[in-house]
Amino acid sequence: MAAVLGISGLYHDAAAALVVDGVVVAAMQQERFSRVKNDAALPKDAAFACLKWGDLRPSDLDSVVYYEQPFQKLERILLSSLRGFPRSLRQFPRAIRSQLADKLWVLDSISELLDVPRSRVHAVGHHEAHAASAFFVSPYERAAVLTLDGVGEDITTAIWLGNGNTLTPVATTAWPQSLGLFYAAMTAWTGFSVLEGEYKLMGLSAWGTARYRERIDRVLRLQSTGEFELDLSYFDQFNDTELGFGKRLEQLLGPRRQPNAPWDLRVSEDQHYADVAATVQQVTEEAILGLARRAQRETGASNLCLAGGVALNALANARLAKESGFARIFVQPAAGDAGGALGAAILGSIVRGDARPEPLTTAALGLPAKAAEAVELAQQLGLSTRRLQDPASTTASLLSEGKVVAFVQGRFEFGPRALGQRSLLARPDSAETCTRLNAVVKERESFRPFAPSVLASACGTYFDMEPNDMTPFMTTVAVARNDAPHPLGAVVHRDGTSRLQTVTAKSASSLHAVLNGRLALGEAPVVLNTSLNGRGEPIVASASDAIAFLLSHQVDALVLEDVLVNKPL
Amino acid sequence: MFQSGLHPYLAQLNAKWIARHPETAARALDRFAKAEQGSMLTLRWAAARVDAVERRAIYLEQALEEQRHAGLFSKRAAELRGQGETVAPVITDAEDLFARLGEIRFLAFLHRGERRAVVEFAYYRAAFERAGDRATAALFAEIVEEERNHQDYPLALITALSNDPKAAARAARFVTAWEAWRGFRRLGRFLAERCYNFCMWCLYPLLAPLCLWVRLVRPEPRGLVVTTEWQNRKSLEGKA
Repeated sequence: MAAVLGISGLYHDAAAALVVDGVVVAAMQQERFSRVKNDAALPKDAAFACLKWGDLRPSDLDSVVYYEQPFQKLERILLSSLRGFPRSLRQFPRAIRSQLADKLWVLDSISELLDVPRSRVHAVGHHEAHAASAFFVSPYERAAVLTLDGVGEDITTAIWLGNGNTLTPVATTAWPQSLGLFYAAMTAWTGFSVLEGEYKLMGLSAWGTARYRERIDRVLRLQSTGEFELDLSYFDQFNDTELGFGKRLEQLLGPRRQPNAPWDLRVSEDQHYADVAATVQQVTEEAILGLARRAQRETGASNLCLAGGVALNALANARLAKESGFARIFVQPAAGDAGGALGAAILGSIVRGDARPEPLTTAALGLPAKAAEAVELAQQLGLSTRRLQDPASTTASLLSEGKVVAFVQGRFEFGPRALGQRSLLARPDSAETCTRLNAVVKERESFRPFAPSVLASACGTYFDMEPNDMTPFMTTVAVARNDAPHPLGAVVHRDGTSRLQTVTAKSASSLHAVLNGRLALGEAPVVLNTSLNGRGEPIVASASDAIAFLLSHQVDALVLEDVLVNKPL
Repeated sequence: MFQSGLHPYLAQLNAKWIARHPETAARALDRFAKAEQGSMLTLRWAAARVDAVERRAIYLEQALEEQRHAGLFSKRAAELRGQGETVAPVITDAEDLFARLGEIRFLAFLHRGERRAVVEFAYYRAAFERAGDRATAALFAEIVEEERNHQDYPLALITALSNDPKAAARAARFVTAWEAWRGFRRLGRFLAERCYNFCMWCLYPLLAPLCLWVRLVRPEPRGLVVTTEWQNRKSLEGKA
């Protein structure tokens, strides 16, 4: 019986997760508190919020587990810099300074930050933490686990066998052979920011044709064994960790797209970038597929768990579900580095003799928003408020009227997806809604799709798929049915797919009630569900954040627990 | 109450310089956007930490205005660069001054910063007007007005919170000294960074023999390598 706090941080997506007696009590990202997107700082606020929610003090913790081995990381950076001599001239001082300044001493920093004895602070491997974050909260007793990201200490890709409460490493690929590096470099080449624009590249791929296969195959070679090999002459990971790609890639594919330049996919220049995006996506999917098949051959498992930043590629996950041969696939909602905190906490808990946690059924592992606080604050700011008898049916009615509703219910989500706790909801039928949301509310590129949330029991009516282990967390896509009884123009992407969320009372009870409310009104039990944040901002966490969002964005109403907040007319 | 030292003169000189060319103007506007976004974060943190709902509302309102200013600066910078309407989100960092200084001194800091902004932005407005860039001048004029409101309320709040008419002056003296100390430390950090880079670049060529040795002894690994643990397990299973 143990209380273990997992910590990820110092690179990107810092987070904390608390596991007590084998139960996942809380998991939160630092960005929700600091309001700095993908905040990398050690997650002090998130850690203390987890402890407060669990009614614990730091001294009650049996163990604090960091998601990466600092000395192994330093070793890799030194080796990588020395191997890259003299190309690593610019990178070397920066990397060493960054390691020696704080990253190497992170366990001591955590001990000071939380005021826990240093002897209680431990570290686990980065990919082990990823693997644990997926397998130990999956519904499987035995599964192959595939972890894919930019790089951990020195590993970029790993296959594991999860069995009961053990994880056995099967095979690994070391830096710089990295699918994460490949996808990040291509994201930067397309003019998007790395760690933020990968979704955009994925969304853009639907607008293009994979016509550059021969060229991309030169950059990333796939082998029949499931392995992949990057031609490193196209990359510049030594000199430019921001972009990652080198001049040779620009010679191969053309110049990098100007960041932030407006998109017009009717213009051939922009169509070229969409075509490259489509090819990159296709090759990435095939690389992941190859690795998954290899994982199955090695382990003989019939289920697969995925984690690491690359596992958030919903299109690839859908293809895995169809073609990999695994019976079931699970990707938890915080598959990126934030999830490392959860994995670290679970590993720490299992080491101390606790059972693995129950399967994850909801991502609502954060703090709740307080209705009373919202009312007081809204009144101070001159907003009108009204207590609702039935928030779900009011929301359903507002949506029917074509309103865009900020929907804040219960504890906020862990991971990058809004899953009905901090969501912006709208009708799913009209493509105009999509245009309005992209242009005015979210202020983002017009080609980006919006996701639907659908009542799990009605999933098959609207999409060519029944709910699976990924759909509650929006980590896969499905093809929308042409014969659906209601139009879904706002939530179906150009390629006919939707990154859907299936909703049950257990996974998101308030959203479930809204969907039932829509059904009662004779409408589709589907809503457009996008994250409740402005451009470049983290998703809303508290009541104050929600009020601030309402004031600064053109949405029609805020439903926070049982309170309806409106802007003055 | 607060003296701004050399700032007005520097701002006057700088304003003339940046208003000369759209690119220098765009770079300056990007800097202002980051500063405003940083203020937004500082105020959001203050709003999250303060208990009284009245003051939370005040800080939140100002935070939203700072965010709007950041957006306006950023948008104008993009226009000056000919990038049209699409503007990158303003990414910046900030300090949790509310936690570090306490509310009274935080308010003094706020007053000091806003007052400085009012003076500086007025110079920029005039400089852009003289340079014939009316759109940028109008932007500064709009923002100066709001900053003027932001500079007034902190002093009233300090007096109300401390119940002491001299509290504002005391807090102001502290903040002036603290800012000077912070500036000194930033300068120290800047110089130390340059020294460090110089030393590392001197050291780097000396690593050449070690680099050759590393390439021989620890060559870059390739492909998917099956772990020893898994190999052992497989061989045990084979024997069984």
